[in-house]
Amino acid sequence: MTSRRIVRGLLGALVGLTALYLVAPVFIVVPMSFSDSQFLKFPPTSWSTRWFESYFGDDEWIASTLASIQIGVLVTIASVVLGTLAALGMVRGNYPLRGAVAGLVLAPVLVPYVIIGLAVYAMFLQFGLTETTLGFVLIHTALAVPYVVINVSAALFSFDRRLELAAMNLGAGPVSAFLRITLPIIAPSMITGALFAFITSFDEVVTAVFLSGPDLTTLPAKMWSGVRVQIDPTVAAVSSMLLLVTLALFSGAGITRFVRSRSGARRNPGTAEPDTVRQTQ
Amino acid sequence: MNETIAALAGTGASIDVQGISKRYRDTTALDDVSLQVKAGEFITLLGASGSGKSTLLNIIAGFIEPTSGRIEVAGKDITTVPPYKRDLGMVFQHYALFPHMDVWENVAFPLRRRKVARAEVERQVRQALDVVELGRLAKRRPSELSGGQQQRVALARAIVFRPRALLMDEPLGALDKRLREQLQLEIKRLHSELGTTFVFVTHDQEEALAMSDRIAVLRDGALVQVGTPEELYERPSSRYTAEFLGESNIFTGHHRGARFIDATTKADLAVGETGDCAGALVLRPEHAHLAAPGSDIPIGHNVLNGVVRDVIYLGSGLRVEVTLPDGRAIVSRPAARGRYTPEPGTGVLVHWHAERALVVPDHPSVAP
Ligand SMILES: Nc1ncnc2c1ncn2[C@@H]1O[C@H](COP(=O)(O)OP(=O)(O)O)[C@@H](O)[C@H]1O
Ligand SMILES: [Mg+2]
Repeated sequence: MTSRRIVRGLLGALVGLTALYLVAPVFIVVPMSFSDSQFLKFPPTSWSTRWFESYFGDDEWIASTLASIQIGVLVTIASVVLGTLAALGMVRGNYPLRGAVAGLVLAPVLVPYVIIGLAVYAMFLQFGLTETTLGFVLIHTALAVPYVVINVSAALFSFDRRLELAAMNLGAGPVSAFLRITLPIIAPSMITGALFAFITSFDEVVTAVFLSGPDLTTLPAKMWSGVRVQIDPTVAAVSSMLLLVTLALFSGAGITRFVRSRSGARRNPGTAEPDTVRQTQ
Repeated sequence: MNETIAALAGTGASIDVQGISKRYRDTTALDDVSLQVKAGEFITLLGASGSGKSTLLNIIAGFIEPTSGRIEVAGKDITTVPPYKRDLGMVFQHYALFPHMDVWENVAFPLRRRKVARAEVERQVRQALDVVELGRLAKRRPSELSGGQQQRVALARAIVFRPRALLMDEPLGALDKRLREQLQLEIKRLHSELGTTFVFVTHDQEEALAMSDRIAVLRDGALVQVGTPEELYERPSSRYTAEFLGESNIFTGHHRGARFIDATTKADLAVGETGDCAGALVLRPEHAHLAAPGSDIPIGHNVLNGVVRDVIYLGSGLRVEVTLPDGRAIVSRPAARGRYTPEPGTGVLVHWHAERALVVPDHPSVAP
């Protein structure tokens, strides 16, 4: 009994250390962003909010933030639509070379981003797509689609197709059956896929560095140049704000899920009334 | 109660299955099946697992396209009509309720697809839920219901739009015995009060005997026999039907004139009909009587010697297993307190009236 408790204690400590190791460096940016120093410095010696002011006062920072948000939203829409259609084709289609098609769709996850970035840069230069929203949306969509495909095809695999048959038996045509039955049931997976897609785009540095320039620079590319060219502590301020937004989003999602699972448990099948109750009422 | 059911009642349509075959790459799921289901009839497709019951039902519903043959409903060819235009209700074995809708929305679904006015939807859903006595659970999700309740919702959803026929694929297969028997009664009541055509699929012969106007026996994709429960039980046309429905004692041998010669023992037994073919003698346990050795046997009875092996008290009677000299067993079901009380290990006479046993040929002419 006590040896078990010791093992548990050690395990707990290990988990705590691992979490600290993974997360702590991220939080170093928070004190750095409130530093008064001209340089990125940890720990800071004096405090100020000048780097936040620097961010909000700089048109370039604001422009690249808005560009990233715009690209991220467009990429999310495009990759949810394309990824869901691709997943449908991959799970339900019956055609030669299905495996090869799946491999092709998922390839961007496996190929190193540097190679993709270089290849895309060379090609986009010819078509004048560098430093354009369209160019960013195109490449980021290619990178984000696999995450939607993976999520949605998992949902489609476990989807009971008899539900569609039942819907058709009850008078729904194929399109209506899909929209009213299949889509609502796979929607949570599509939303997860959408979240992944947005983050894939919003967070993407490698191809962004290739494609960015004076006309259009996304936030990660701007941050990258901010650190590389002239060590600008505004980067730390931006990081802190992104961290705050991410935390808010995820705890929001977490709280929603927690509340939903609690109310789900309350109305669980286990608590369903036995059939005999029917007769007594 | 009866008024609500009357409101949902419709006139059932006849279903005419004409020479339906379904072949997959390496299997024949259905082989030239023809079956006339009368309007308002309760017909059961009975057969072992893999005999093609679901395939036939799904072809009627329009989910599977037959390789050849035609389906007519109410005299109209619907072979190429898509399922959503057939107006046939279906109840699936695993309910197939929509998990993201509550009970009320599930039942309203077919009405909404038919663009029924809102107030009318409200009224008809209420009626259908009253018929299956689930009105108070209307706001529950399917996952919050027991198996029996889910099956009732599936029934309500399938009858709410007054389909021309109700198709049911082993609807009670997933339920426990007590609940199954209760729902059997409810489905029968529903049938008599709705007056709709019911096509019911089961592999459970007791269920088929208890519920059906007629039973169609399927075996390996072919129709073996169609008839009322009495006809199938009393006059099976094949050994398969005889063995599938109810318990029977079977002797293999030859039918010659009014005699039946058992293949192993060469015993010469009197039978009611005359014939000349290889076949099987079918003797139902309730017609196999028992008597103490040496007692008088009525005229016209066949007699075999045996030893009582096992006696089981069933309440309504006894189930007695008798071993014949060649090692085979015969089952008899005498009344519990007859003149003769069988004792395990003692000798016994098994006797039956020649007319009570039936000879079925090994290769019957094609079933009607
Ligand atoms: N999609 C299919 N592909 C190949 N064989 C099938 C398919 N569906 C059914 N079968 C075969 O057809 C036969 C009848 O199946 P089914 O109608 O489901 O039988 P039952 O409902 O009586 O158990 C079985 O041998 C089954 O293996
Ligand atoms: Mg089946």
